[in-house]
Amino acid sequence: MIDPIFQTDNYQLARKLLDASVLRHEAIASNIANVETAGFRRLDIAPDFATQLKTRMAAGDFGRTADSLRPALVEDQTARSVRPDGNTVELERELLVMNRNLVEHDFLTEIVSRNIKQLKLAITGRGV
Amino acid sequence: MNLISGIDVTAGALNAQKTRLDVVAQNIANAQTTRTAAGGPYQRQVVSFESELMRRAGSTAAGPVGNNLQSVRVAAIAPDRTPGQQVYNPQHPDAGADGMVTMPNVNIAYEMVDLITASRAYEANLSVVKNARQMAMKALEIGK
Repeated sequence: MIDPIFQTDNYQLARKLLDASVLRHEAIASNIANVETAGFRRLDIAPDFATQLKTRMAAGDFGRTADSLRPALVEDQTARSVRPDGNTVELERELLVMNRNLVEHDFLTEIVSRNIKQLKLAITGRGV
Repeated sequence: MNLISGIDVTAGALNAQKTRLDVVAQNIANAQTTRTAAGGPYQRQVVSFESELMRRAGSTAAGPVGNNLQSVRVAAIAPDRTPGQQVYNPQHPDAGADGMVTMPNVNIAYEMVDLITASRAYEANLSVVKNARQMAMKALEIGK
């Protein structure tokens, strides 16, 4: 009976997005580290992760198929270089994305947390 | 997988920026040095960076994620070859027969700009670690 709670779309989605947000943070760390490396192209989560997520959610039964979906890092093809050395990293943008990512991560951990708390409440009958 | 994500990438960058600060310090310290072991005036040193692919245990080309993360390291510390300024100072021990002294090609203004750029880059990397730590702490609080 416990199983279905962890198989819900919401919980599985939050899990996947948490993975993505940790990975995005690593990409940002790499981007900021290479802010002055000539010719470096910024990394980001592959755009097909979001589309895959969307199509799988639309197809239903996301909870059971979620494990095969993994976010990956690729070079950001949309970023344009405004510098003579061909580097596509903008420090301000990276710092903004990083802070947004932090808030997103907090939000997602909260969702996962609440799911577990709800389960605890159901088991024990008292609030945690 | 690290508990604090991206810390290995950031560590490389902090190291590289610190090396750059050290080189700037060396340049400023030697701004008036007209005699070196190699002979001639001191030559300004310039740091260049290169990205370094992170190798991770257990990651294969098609396998676990994050295997194309790139850190940064110092590629080379090379001398700046531009000629130094000629100053007329016949009293100087290193003055030539015509009384001209070749000063080092260090420009304090350039060095200050480099110094500030390096320390800002260092700070940006530190804030990445700070955020990563916050994320890790939040993740540890799941279910509490």
